[in-house]
Amino acid sequence: MSAKNRKQFTISRRAVLKTGAGYAAAAMLPSVAWAQTPKSGGTLLLSSGGDPPTLDMHQSATYLTEFIGSPVFSTLLRIDPNDINKLVPDLADKFEMSSDGKTVTFYLHKGAEFHNGMPVTADDVVFSLDRIRKPPAGIVSPRKGLLGSIKDVQAKDDLTVVVNLAEPQADFPFQVANPYNVIVPRKVVEPLDASGQGMKRTMVGSGPFKLAQAVDGQIYELVRNEKYFRKRAYLDKIQMFPMKGEVERASALQSGRIHGCFFFANEAVMEGLRKAPNVTAIRRPTPTFINLIPNVRMKPFDDIRVREAMSLAIDRSAFIKTVGPLAGAFYASTGLLLPDSPYNISMDEIKKFSGFDTIPGGGGDIEANRKHAMELLEQAGVPKGFKVVLLARGDIPAFRDSSIDIAAQFKTIGLDASVDVRDAGGFYTAETGGQFQVLAHSVAVSGSLPDQILGEGYTSFGGRNYGGWKDDSIDIAFRAQSAETNPEKRKELIKDFQRKFLKTYYQISLAWVGYAAAHAKSLKGWNALPDLYANMQMDNVWLDV
Amino acid sequence: MTGYIIQRLATGFVTLFGVAVIVFLIMRVLPGDAAVMMSGAGSGVVSEQEIAQVRHRLGIDRPLVVQFADWAGHVAVLDFGTSLRTGSPVIEDIARRFPYTLQIVVLAMIIAIGVGVPAGVLSSWLAGTWVDRTLQTVTIIGLAAPSFWVGLMIILGLVYFFQWSAPLFWEPFWVSPFKSMSQLIWPAISVGIRQLALIARMTRSIMREVLGEDYIRTARAKGLSEKRVVFRHALWNGALPIVTLIGFEVAALFGGLIVTETVFSVPGLGQYVVQSILDRDYPAAQGIVLVLAGIVVLGNLAVDLLYGLLDPRTRVQGAGA
Repeated sequence: MSAKNRKQFTISRRAVLKTGAGYAAAAMLPSVAWAQTPKSGGTLLLSSGGDPPTLDMHQSATYLTEFIGSPVFSTLLRIDPNDINKLVPDLADKFEMSSDGKTVTFYLHKGAEFHNGMPVTADDVVFSLDRIRKPPAGIVSPRKGLLGSIKDVQAKDDLTVVVNLAEPQADFPFQVANPYNVIVPRKVVEPLDASGQGMKRTMVGSGPFKLAQAVDGQIYELVRNEKYFRKRAYLDKIQMFPMKGEVERASALQSGRIHGCFFFANEAVMEGLRKAPNVTAIRRPTPTFINLIPNVRMKPFDDIRVREAMSLAIDRSAFIKTVGPLAGAFYASTGLLLPDSPYNISMDEIKKFSGFDTIPGGGGDIEANRKHAMELLEQAGVPKGFKVVLLARGDIPAFRDSSIDIAAQFKTIGLDASVDVRDAGGFYTAETGGQFQVLAHSVAVSGSLPDQILGEGYTSFGGRNYGGWKDDSIDIAFRAQSAETNPEKRKELIKDFQRKFLKTYYQISLAWVGYAAAHAKSLKGWNALPDLYANMQMDNVWLDV
Repeated sequence: MTGYIIQRLATGFVTLFGVAVIVFLIMRVLPGDAAVMMSGAGSGVVSEQEIAQVRHRLGIDRPLVVQFADWAGHVAVLDFGTSLRTGSPVIEDIARRFPYTLQIVVLAMIIAIGVGVPAGVLSSWLAGTWVDRTLQTVTIIGLAAPSFWVGLMIILGLVYFFQWSAPLFWEPFWVSPFKSMSQLIWPAISVGIRQLALIARMTRSIMREVLGEDYIRTARAKGLSEKRVVFRHALWNGALPIVTLIGFEVAALFGGLIVTETVFSVPGLGQYVVQSILDRDYPAAQGIVLVLAGIVVLGNLAVDLLYGLLDPRTRVQGAGA
């Protein structure tokens, strides 16, 4: 299938946005046009950064689970392997949206089976979506907010699922395509949930690969699902090895012992990989951003002048130069969305918000900013030498090194800043309990849609509100853009939302993190999308050996 | 002798009970609990109510005394519970990882004893010569160099000279003994160097002392060969403190391989300890610490029993104690 032909069978985000007036999409299979004919067979050897804390995709919030689970499970729809703004079918051959945008009907592929031989039915889809949005007692669901607009889910017949939304949500089809929102078999998972374990050590999906073994600290092995309901995968097996060290992973790749690995924060390691003759190394912005978060429940951070002063103190270009090579935080955005998002406001506009004129290309005067910051602190009654402690997580450079850099920059406006470094458990307990003054958090959102980034990152109810602010006008502005089905109107509403949020300084945007991956040139058919969770099913991947 | 063993075992149980109480309390004192870590706290979108439900399911919302009594009751029948992270019984996790750590310890001690004791004897025998001075310098370097640094240097050296790097999959001993040993020899060398230096210096020091004793002079006066004097009379009589040291070092190594296993990515007990503590995996952390403490207790008991074999006088004292 040519690239031109494929286009007419995929559903673009723009098309979905137009669906308010009733839309039926019959999207076709993901297909990628290769310069070479793909070869079948072989074992793909991969490495990620460690063991997953659980194999339950619905309960997990880490790529360590998602990278193992994506090839094993199916979702209703799937992000197009070539374009993050498009959808292609997975378990659902097509879907229809009602004219009021409140009812979405999914038509399941006939003959799809789970790996245990049971057919995939509409009841399994109802169970899965309900499990995500309303998890049973003792089961956690970090992404229940993604499906928060669902009123109810019904099985019309074995192959038809009807989702009723409480209010229209333009991004809804993309929310069900989130790689974590997989369809699981009710008969297997319901008893496991009752026992309190969920799918912690089991993966029963309907995807292109089956879980063959999961040995903690050693190996996670997947084998091809010969009964896959779509085109069979090329690879015979995928073996994933947990390796924590970036240098170690890079060394394994360069020496040809693995074909690919993910997540390099350190730019020096990436530099080495870029120079390696048989390796392709990629870094690109991903929906992960570093924000400075003041605790507004605590004085003097409840005062907007203090928060604005903190924003003015940070030289964002210097921050990116210092922290970028250590944490992969190389990118700046002219808004709250991904750097290249069409929904962002302009450079001229963002420069009007205090401190944002120091982003690369902004041409701001940091000395003037800091002078103004000191005036604001004085007006707010904050004395010189005021002690500010930044809470930091010690094991991740994006948290630790950001905090160290910010503390140094805070000193330039007369704050006596220091960093309290803790392990993950200590950090999260203090963070979620509101026991901190200020912190830098690297927020990894599970998708690049405006609803995902703004909803999770910048609403009072979205779950990233570590600073404890409450502002109805922000939440209302978010809901207004989410429900708007006219693309142009929505674009404006998204920009309005950002303007509203940026002037509150509830969360102060500093930089965006670049997702880094590297693979051997013999690994073909994998495309790193600007969303680190998408396109990890591996059914299009093959080895040119 | 039986009474002595029973007495030592009883003391060991008291020690283990103390360890159990301490590790249980330390895990609870650490900020952040198992429910927070299991709930994917990093995602930040899990409500306090959901975390409370997980706490309830895990039973960690009960009073500490009740939790401890429950755990201790299960441990008494060797049920260490289920790891919150891996979902497997802790005893199975430990059993799967134990052989790797055991192999490193055994290999490290073979290297340490096999080279350290002869080096110490040679050094004392040729005291004051260039051989002695060289050995003294080398052993001081061996003691000073941290095992993680030695490990990193070994990895760098192997990569640089032989394009070697740590294996992706560590072969279990029972599947392929030779391959398994050849994989684990490098971590064993990196920790064994310190033990080697320690044993060599201890042996030299003891041998110097023993070689000055009257009975050694008598043995030489009797016309015995120097080899027989050194190895049969001096080394045998000086072996007691060396055996003590070896016993302690073997026990300490089981708990001291954390960094080396991390450097080489060996899926042994050391990595399990670290990950369990970081994840606040209470059953796993408590279980593994207790097992390691048990190894130390049994190691000390084994050393004490070896005393009896090496020196009959301690057997008499022990029996009378």
